[in-house]
Amino acid sequence: MRGRRRDLWWTVTVTGFLTVLAFLVYPLATVLVTSFSGEDKRFVLAANYERFFTHRYYYSSIINSLYLSTLATLGALVLGTSLAFAVTRYPLPGKALIRAAANLALLSPPFIGAYSWVVLFGRMGLVNRILGEFGWSLPTIYGWRGILLVFVVQYFPFVFLLVSAALRSVDQSIEDAALSLGSPPRRAITTAILPILAPSLTAGGLLVFMGTMADFGTPMIIGEGLRTLPTLMYGEFMNELGGNPAMASTLGSLLILVNTSALLAQRYYAFRKAYNVVCIQPLRVKRTTRRRLLALTVFSYAVVGVALIPALTIIVSSFMPTRGPVMYAGFSLQSYETIFFRIPRAIANTFGLTAAAVVLDVVLGVLVAYLLARRRSRAHALLDSLIMLAYAIPGTVVGVGLIVVYNRPPLILTGTWVILLVSYFIRHLPYPVRSCTAMLQQIDIRVEEASVSLGVPPFRTFVKVTIPLMFPAIISGAALAWMTTIGELSSSILLYSGPWATMSVAIFTEVFSNHFGTASALASILILAAFLPLFLTYRVLGERSALGV
Amino acid sequence: MTRVRVQGIVKRFGDTAAIDGVSLDVRPGELFTLVGPSGCGKTTLLRIVAGLLDQDAGSVLFNEDRMDDIPPYLRNIGVVFQSYAIFPHLTVAENIAYGLKARRVPADRIAAKVAEVGRLVQLEGLMDRMPSQLSGGQQQRVVLARALVIEPRLLLMDEPLSNLDAKLRVQIRSLIRAVQRELQITTVYVTHDQEEALAISDTIAVMDRGRVLQVGKPWELYLTPGSRFVADFIGTMNVFHGRLEGSAAAAGPRPMVTTFGERWQVCATGASGAQIAVGVRPESLTLERGANADEVWNSLTGTVVEAAYLGAVVRYQVHVANGLSATAEIHNPDFAAIRAVGDRMTLWFGANRAVLLPESASEA
Repeated sequence: MRGRRRDLWWTVTVTGFLTVLAFLVYPLATVLVTSFSGEDKRFVLAANYERFFTHRYYYSSIINSLYLSTLATLGALVLGTSLAFAVTRYPLPGKALIRAAANLALLSPPFIGAYSWVVLFGRMGLVNRILGEFGWSLPTIYGWRGILLVFVVQYFPFVFLLVSAALRSVDQSIEDAALSLGSPPRRAITTAILPILAPSLTAGGLLVFMGTMADFGTPMIIGEGLRTLPTLMYGEFMNELGGNPAMASTLGSLLILVNTSALLAQRYYAFRKAYNVVCIQPLRVKRTTRRRLLALTVFSYAVVGVALIPALTIIVSSFMPTRGPVMYAGFSLQSYETIFFRIPRAIANTFGLTAAAVVLDVVLGVLVAYLLARRRSRAHALLDSLIMLAYAIPGTVVGVGLIVVYNRPPLILTGTWVILLVSYFIRHLPYPVRSCTAMLQQIDIRVEEASVSLGVPPFRTFVKVTIPLMFPAIISGAALAWMTTIGELSSSILLYSGPWATMSVAIFTEVFSNHFGTASALASILILAAFLPLFLTYRVLGERSALGV
Repeated sequence: MTRVRVQGIVKRFGDTAAIDGVSLDVRPGELFTLVGPSGCGKTTLLRIVAGLLDQDAGSVLFNEDRMDDIPPYLRNIGVVFQSYAIFPHLTVAENIAYGLKARRVPADRIAAKVAEVGRLVQLEGLMDRMPSQLSGGQQQRVVLARALVIEPRLLLMDEPLSNLDAKLRVQIRSLIRAVQRELQITTVYVTHDQEEALAISDTIAVMDRGRVLQVGKPWELYLTPGSRFVADFIGTMNVFHGRLEGSAAAAGPRPMVTTFGERWQVCATGASGAQIAVGVRPESLTLERGANADEVWNSLTGTVVEAAYLGAVVRYQVHVANGLSATAEIHNPDFAAIRAVGDRMTLWFGANRAVLLPESASEA
C-alpha cells in the first residue's frame, strides 16, 4: 500500500530470501556442483555419474531405493485407502479410537519403528526367543522385507488421514447420481468417488514416496547392509578412509532429482484433477451384513493395532531389565537411570534445539505466509517454491550441503550447535508456512481493511486481528514442525559433533552398540515429547486442529 | 458534515482503466449512490475514497482537506463491506467498540456509546454474542454500528445488502436510511441494484466502464435519462427509432416516422431527416388515448406474444415489427384490459412521455 507499510514487509521478503538462499539453495547448489567435480576438485563432466551407473556397488542403491519406495507407496495407498473407506462408510464401533490410533502411529520416527521390529522379531528379539524355546523360528526380519514392512506400517496413516478427510467432503449426491445413472455400487466407487479423491490419493502417495526415498535410519537399522541412496550417501561421505564428497554429492543429486520429479509430477497431476466439490450432505454410512461388518471391524483394528505395535513395544521394553540386546521379563527403571546419568546432555540438546527451531519456524513462517497470501508477486511465488523445496530434499542431502558450505570461511558452523539448528529450522519451515497460508486464504481480507478503516494502522491490525484469526493454523503448524523435528535423524547424524549429539543420534548409536534398553528409554521419551503438543493442540483447539499435512 | 469532492480520478489495473477520469461532488449530509453493472468501477472508486486503494491520478477532498497522502486509518471514515468483514474473534460489543479503543476513548465512554449505537441499530440483548451466533441481518447491523460509533466524517457502504434475502434487504435498507438521516452523516453507497439506488438515495451517479454517465436525483434519472445506457439501467425502457421531420424552428412537438411506419409527434430538436431514438417507459403505454384533448397522443399496434397477469399489473410483450417488441404495463387492470397471446393490440402514449435518447459514444 503506502510507503511506510512497504518497509516492514520488504524486510520480511529480503530476510526470507536470504535465509532460504543461504541455508537451502546455496548448499544444494553446492552439492549439485560438487557432483561434477573430480578428485583434485577440477570440473569433470559426468565422470562421477559414469562411475555411478557402471558400478553395481553404486547403481544397485538407486534400484533398491526406487523398488522399495514404489512398493511401500503402493502398499500404504492400498492399506490407507481401504481403512479410510471402512471407517468412513461403515458403522464400525469405536471410529474415534481408530482415528486416534492412526494419529498416534505417526508420532514415532520411522527409524524407531524399524528398531522396534528388531526388538520383537530380530535375532535376539522377544518373539524369536520365545519361539526358540519351542524350537521354532520365523523368517528373518532383516533386509528388504523388513524395510518394506516398516515403511508401509509407518506411512499408511498419512494416506488414511488424507483420504478420510477427502471422503468426508464428498457429497452423497455424487454417489446417488452414479447409481441412478445405472452404475452398480462397485463401479460407482471407481468411476465417481475415486476420481474425486485423486488429488488426496496422489498427495498421500507422494508423501509416502518422498518420505521413504529420504529415509536413512530404517535401512540402516533393519536393512543389514542393503544399500539405498541415503545410506550409501552417508557411507560415502563419512567413510573412515576419508570421505568421497564428490560421490556423496552425486548420490545426493540423484535423490534431489528423483524427489523433485515426483513432487512436480504430483503437482501437475493434482492441479489438472482438482475438482471443486461442494459438500452439503456427506456420504451416508452404509448398512451391511453382520458378517461383513465383523470382517471389516477385525480388519480395521488389526491394521491400526499393527501400526501401534512399534510405540507399544518401545514403551514396554523401556521398562524391562536388559543386558545388551537381550531383554528379560520384569519391571525396571534401570534403562532410565542409565540415560539420565550417562546422556542427559542429549535430552537437553534435543529439547533446546527443537524448541528454538520451532520458534524460528513459526515467526518467519507466519510473516512469510502473510506475504504469500496477501501480497502475491512473482518474487513471492519464487520464495514460496524455494521454501517448499525443503519438503522434497532428504535430510541427508541438506546435511551434506550444509557441511560442505559451512566448514570453510567466512562462516564456519560445523562443530557447533548452530548448524543443527539451521538444518532443523530450514527443513521444517514449510509446515507453518503451509498451514498459515491455507488459513489466510480463508480469512476475508476485508476484515483487515475494516480494522484499518476504523483507525488501526496495518501492523497493529496484523497483530490485533490477523494473528488471532490465524491462531489455529499457527498452533497446528508449530505442532507439526515440533513432531517432525524432535526425532530428526538423517541430517543430525551428519551434523552433530561431540557434545551436541541429540536423542535421535543417541538412540541410533545405542542400537548399534546393542544397548537396546537405553535406546528404548530414549525413544519412549521422544515419542512422549512428540505426542504432547498434539495432545495439547487437541485440548486447546478441539476439532479445528486438523492435522493438515 | 463533510462535503466530499472527487476530482479527475484515474485508476489503472494493468492496461485497463478501472476508473477513467471521474469527478463527483457529494453534498454534506446526503446519501450519494454509485450504481452500475459489475465491473463498472464503482467499488474501486469507493475504495479510493476510503484510501484502501491508491489512485494513479486525481484527488479526493473531504471539505477543504486533500486526502491523497492520508492513509485510511487516519481518514476517520466508517466502511461497511459487502462481506460484512465482522471480526469473528470478538463479541458484538467488542466489534462495535473496536474503533473507539483504537482512538483511546475512556472505557466508560466506550460502554455508553456502544450501548447507544446498539440501540440505534436494534442490537439490544445481543451484545455478548459471538458473530457466529448471529444471523446475516444481525451481522450487518453490527458492522453498521461499528462504522457509526466512531462518528466518522464519512460513511462508505459497499453493496451492504447483497448477502441478505429480499425481505431483510428492505428492512435494513430503511434502517440505514433512517439512521443516516438522523445522524446526518455524508454517505457514499455502492450498489448494482437500481431499485435499491432509487429507494435509498438523495443523489445517484450512474457508472459504466470507469466513467460517470449521469448524476441526478432519482426521478431525474428515471424521467429524463441522458443516454440509452442510463435509460436501460434505471428501469425498463422501450426504444423506438425513426426519422425526424418538420422544421426545427416550429414550436411544440414535431412529426417523426418510425422504422415500422407509424407517424408520431415527439418533442425533439434537430434537423429534418435526422435519425433519432425515443424511449417510452412500459407504464406510459396505455390501452386508450387519454382524455386530455390538449395533449398529443401517439399509438402503435402489434401482436401480444406474452401476457403476465400479476394482479395489480398486467404486463404484455407486444410484437410490433420484425425484431422489435414493446413492453407495456397496464396498472390496476379491469376485465376490459385482459388480452390473450395472439391478440392484436393498440397501445397509446402521450407525446410528452417520450424521451429523446441521444446516441452517445459510451453506449453499448
